[in-house]
Amino acid sequence: MLLPVFTLKLRHKISPRMVAIGRYDGTHPCLAAATQAGKVFIHNPHTRGQYFRASRVSQSPLESDVSLLNINQVVSCLTAGVLNPELGRDVLLVGTQTNLLAYDVYNNSDLFYREVADGANAIVLGTLGDVASPLAIIGGNCVLQGFDHEGNDLFWTVTGDNVHSLALCDFDGDGKKELLVGSEDFDIRVFKEDEIIAEMTETEIITSLCPMYGSRFGYALSNGTVGVYDKMARSWRIKSKNHAMSIHAFDLNSDGVCELITGWSNGKVDARSDRTGEVIFKDNFASAIAGVVEGDYRMDGHVQLICCSVDGEIRGYLPGTAEMRGSLMDTSMEQDLIRELSQKKQNLLLELRNYEENARAELSSPQNEADGQRDVIPANTRLHTILSVNLGSETQAAHTELCVSTSNDTIIRAVLIFAEGIFVGESHVVHPSVHNLSSSVCVPIIPPKDVPVDLHLKAFVGYRSSTQFHVFELTRQLPRFSMYALTSPDSASEPLSYVNFIITERAQRIALWLNQNFLLPEDTNIQNAPFQACFTSLRNGGHLCIKIKSSGEITLNTDDIDLAGDIIQSMASFFAIEDLQVEADFPIYFEELRKVLIKVDEYHSVHQKLSADMADDSNLIRSLLVQAEDARLMRDMKTMKNRYMELYDLNKNLLNGYKIRCSNHTELLGNLKAVNQAIQRAGHLRVGKPKNQVITACRDAIRSNNINTLFRIMRVGTAPS
Amino acid sequence: MDLVLNRADYLQVGVTSQKTMKLLPASKSRATQKVVVGDHDGVVTCFGMKKGEAVAVFKTLPGQKITRLELGGVLNTPQEKIFIAAGSEIRGYTKRGKQFLSFETNLTECIKAMHVSGSDLFLSASYIYNHYCDCKDQHYYLSGDKINDVTCLPVEKLPQITPILACQDRVLRVLQGSDVMYEVEVLGPPSVLALHNGNGGDSGEDVLFGTSDGKLGLIQITTSKPINKWEIRNEKKRGGVLCIDSFDIVGDGVKDLLVGRDDGMVEVYSFDSANEPVLRFDQMLSESVTSIQGGCVGKDSYDEIVVSTYSGWVTGLTTEPVQKESGSGEELKINQEMQSKIASLRSELEHLQYKVLQERENYQQASQSSTAKTALSSISINDKFTLNKDDASYSLILEVQTAIDNVLIQSDVPIDLLDVDKNSAVVSFSSCDAESNDNFLLATYRCQANTTRLELQIRSIEGQYGTLQAYVTPRVQPKTCQVRQYHIKPLSLHQRTHCIDHDRPMNTLTLTGQFSFAEFHSWVVFCLPEVPEKPPAGECITFYFQNTFLDTQLESTYRKGEGVFKSDNISTISILKDVLSKEATKRKINLNISYEINEVSVKHTLKLIHPKLEYQLLLAKKVQLIDALKELQVHEGNTSFLIPEYRSILEEADHLQEEYKKQPAHLERLYGMITDLFIDKFKFKGTNVKTKVPLLLEILDSYDQNALIAFFDAA
Repeated sequence: MLLPVFTLKLRHKISPRMVAIGRYDGTHPCLAAATQAGKVFIHNPHTRGQYFRASRVSQSPLESDVSLLNINQVVSCLTAGVLNPELGRDVLLVGTQTNLLAYDVYNNSDLFYREVADGANAIVLGTLGDVASPLAIIGGNCVLQGFDHEGNDLFWTVTGDNVHSLALCDFDGDGKKELLVGSEDFDIRVFKEDEIIAEMTETEIITSLCPMYGSRFGYALSNGTVGVYDKMARSWRIKSKNHAMSIHAFDLNSDGVCELITGWSNGKVDARSDRTGEVIFKDNFASAIAGVVEGDYRMDGHVQLICCSVDGEIRGYLPGTAEMRGSLMDTSMEQDLIRELSQKKQNLLLELRNYEENARAELSSPQNEADGQRDVIPANTRLHTILSVNLGSETQAAHTELCVSTSNDTIIRAVLIFAEGIFVGESHVVHPSVHNLSSSVCVPIIPPKDVPVDLHLKAFVGYRSSTQFHVFELTRQLPRFSMYALTSPDSASEPLSYVNFIITERAQRIALWLNQNFLLPEDTNIQNAPFQACFTSLRNGGHLCIKIKSSGEITLNTDDIDLAGDIIQSMASFFAIEDLQVEADFPIYFEELRKVLIKVDEYHSVHQKLSADMADDSNLIRSLLVQAEDARLMRDMKTMKNRYMELYDLNKNLLNGYKIRCSNHTELLGNLKAVNQAIQRAGHLRVGKPKNQVITACRDAIRSNNINTLFRIMRVGTAPS
Repeated sequence: MDLVLNRADYLQVGVTSQKTMKLLPASKSRATQKVVVGDHDGVVTCFGMKKGEAVAVFKTLPGQKITRLELGGVLNTPQEKIFIAAGSEIRGYTKRGKQFLSFETNLTECIKAMHVSGSDLFLSASYIYNHYCDCKDQHYYLSGDKINDVTCLPVEKLPQITPILACQDRVLRVLQGSDVMYEVEVLGPPSVLALHNGNGGDSGEDVLFGTSDGKLGLIQITTSKPINKWEIRNEKKRGGVLCIDSFDIVGDGVKDLLVGRDDGMVEVYSFDSANEPVLRFDQMLSESVTSIQGGCVGKDSYDEIVVSTYSGWVTGLTTEPVQKESGSGEELKINQEMQSKIASLRSELEHLQYKVLQERENYQQASQSSTAKTALSSISINDKFTLNKDDASYSLILEVQTAIDNVLIQSDVPIDLLDVDKNSAVVSFSSCDAESNDNFLLATYRCQANTTRLELQIRSIEGQYGTLQAYVTPRVQPKTCQVRQYHIKPLSLHQRTHCIDHDRPMNTLTLTGQFSFAEFHSWVVFCLPEVPEKPPAGECITFYFQNTFLDTQLESTYRKGEGVFKSDNISTISILKDVLSKEATKRKINLNISYEINEVSVKHTLKLIHPKLEYQLLLAKKVQLIDALKELQVHEGNTSFLIPEYRSILEEADHLQEEYKKQPAHLERLYGMITDLFIDKFKFKGTNVKTKVPLLLEILDSYDQNALIAFFDAA
């Protein structure tokens, strides 16, 4: 069994996910972690002499070998590593909601201190693609930014939603690192510099990502799932009721392959094989795990796996030796294997007994026995499922409907649907009351997003008085655009917005695509091109028209730019289109965006004005304070009192000003996000190279503050030359 | 000295009941003992271990489910005759497997408990106890509540025969002949009895008991009165006790206490110089431990604890060191044994798999025909639904002989499902439509692989009653699911007790009308937990109850045509009034309901609540401060500048937080009960005060006892 080689208990709390190990003086590895009250602590057990002495850093009053670094803001991400190879030592990087600090601990100096308006939710340090120098890449509200050691902004791009996790990994095996981005819209995107080369949709917010080796990487979701991807294919995943706080790749059993180490919210740490997800080691802490890192913390030439809990407990584990292979757990493998095999045997025996008893029941009881009582159902009972669109009624909103029915007089006691991402939890249950039992059950489904979902159904079939039911299990796929009902073309008032593009596919293939991605009534019959199909959204009643001309030109009419993008991406993957340029116009959306852009300008100027006011006020405070103290020394109590009264008023003003600044800032963030999303959406309408061109061109347009060009790019897809 | 025990699995039989595995005494020639175990298939298996392989001595044919297995024989000789109880029959086998006895008792119910001593046989079914001598009926007793276990003080040591019954109503009944000598009230519903040290101790009068809420105790049963020796309360909230044995596993010459619990915990207590038990060892197995005994089975000269579990595993926890520490030659041998065992298992599996595939095909074919039927064979589910006194919540334990796939929990009353640390299943709450389908709770538990036991915690609200259903789907093909129902009673937080404080101010509810004794009893069963389903003997009966949350009490006395409830809590009386009048209307029985309300009782109840409320408020306040204080501590480096009160909060921080975590929503529940009290007080006066409830909540927010009492008086 593997035991920790060292255990420390620091009397400082550790904020989850904010732990990093760095050699801040070039030799000694030290642990840096964010703690309460906007501070970062650095644990340095190696040199007792205090070389951190300066204004920013102070000696911790609780622990002799811990120094505290004041950030004075809530730390939102933290990492350490080599940012400037010439420096010869590691740099500590601390991100907050407004700033990024690159700090040289040894010299107590800032390498740079940059304002980042979009916040820094996640940070990763390393080389990206062909960029020569190491970059500190931060992810904020829909934005990715990379800084070199001088604070130069060398990398900038947008992504679909707020970034929650980042990792660098050689995804396509070309020897250069790609950037993995996990965001709030459940997507993992892979950026080869600023080009998206892959997108994987998960079922929840991606909270952590970590490179394993080669093209494999681990991920963790906010619903307690952890797993491993190899390129775009998921190798395995498991779900727990606890949350994965931190994941890390480390070769704990010395077999040459990294395991996925997960620190859980209930204080458990486990190591899972990267191929199968099988647990090869576990340990328990008294409180939730804050971070899992690695480093040679004992300075003996061996790298340890270091796990930290939120209460400041730190344990280091050395990898097991080769002889210990497979026996990191305290029970022997053979015993477990035997137990597992015996369990399998028992299961098979039970199954056999089921069949035997079934056969016996058939022989002994012809038809006369009252069914139900013995929980006997006809053997040819079948379960039918039908997916359809229900336009709703006055009491019920429009929805997609799944009807489950049995083929005879048996009843359905309950239906369980397990599916990810479309229900509040992972399952939805329909359990009719005893009076409403029948042989069919209809389940309303309202998927919140346009994604294809596998519905895993379990139906309990039996009779009214049964205490035991047969469980019918089956899987149905909910098409991607199931929330759109087919309507007749003329009734739909055609939306003004449109997307135009040309693909060279036969009409039948397009009809096939329609059939697979929409819930069409069974009698729908699509003739040759040209034809058109109109749909109404069940969510907001918006219209969608797809017109296909015989020349291969396709026009999508919809006001929903996201929907248009989704349809284009879905078509592109179905017809295997690599590059697609489109012409698009969304007058309503563009008008809104124009307003947003104006607002952004306004907020920026308000922000500047407020900052100036604050500077004025602080000058005033200084003079008032001096005046008041002077008055006190002169024993002129009346003046002193007046001055302090003024000071009090000023303080109140400042507080109010702060509140305004705060709300201004959140508004600004919201609007910036909208702008970033707009660029992302414009890109989403195109496929392949045109997509990246649009994003780059849009970014340039925004930098040069050229709003008209921006809209032109969004419309035609290229910058005017 | 630390006790280190290593686990070794021996054999798996069918599902086992409580106390159905024993070790046969060692014969002279061999030092290892044989294991005999009876299962739900009715098979008695006797086996010994040879070179790490289980070798069967004999195996009987399947029959009725075996509920108990005991060893007996002529007194003062080795006890090596095997007695089993199956249905209403007792069978006896020699250690070679020859049947020498088949005794069909005249009991109408199934035998639940058995004790054998020489030619005396003590049996009990649910409520009936019978004593046979040489298979002739001697004595008979009808108990007021379910009998869980029976034992008898050693007849060799004592002049008379003293049987003891462990009854569900928290009482040990000590009998003499057919009569109760006296009753001993114990801490919880006793589930198992055992003689101390296997022989009743020096006096022969010491009896160990374990309760279904996890407590243990030792009582000396003298001829005149019981003497409590010691008790172990269940501080760690472990499972109920299912089996007890005495065996010197530590090797210090004093017999230790071995305990098996229904959450899979195996514990060893040894005795200190003052004869008080001290926990020496515990290990968690994954499922209920149904029987436990100390002995030597796997390898001679290494003592071990042998346990059997619910799904039929016979497992040893042995003092034999694991292979790593033994010599290298030895290790190789053990490894070879293991390898051959694994190989044989694998080939067996392959064979089975082939067979199963064939059967599966047959089954599929059968499903094509229109006349064929498919039946379900039931997989046994072991369930327990009990009220925890400490936090006034129910725990539901489901245990299946094979792995559970998922469990659907449905309830038609509003209840809260709480998170249980032990349970690793992924829970998901589904939206439910309360109006049309009577669902207030729909939740699925998707279990991780190899989960055979699931524990849930449920918080109910008094006055809201209905049914909780659990649909359990095991991971076996063809897939089936079983429904289990549990009643949430109107006074769900009440618990049976045997003595109450008669000096409290009481409110009285009297019901008269044309109803029989049994009818009224059924209503009491409907309203209150822990009441035996069977109407007790006699014409008039009194039950006492205690509210586990507020410590208020309830007395119910009834006979044919009249029933009286007395409680110091007005809400309790109000709930009973509502439920009983509803029930009577449903059955079209004319009931005269009269009540007598004691105004003082409201103040009294508020005073009972006061310390709890004050404690919770203070705790909440302290916990709120912890984070801020800790930050100050980090900032300033020491705590000397803080006032002593804050310093003590910092010192106790961990403890406080733990305490706070243990009782989620405690304050809200207390507020809810005070609000109910307020509404009920005025309901009896005929005024509706629902509009004043916000005012009451305001007063509660800035709680002061006198202000609250004044508000109750003034409104």
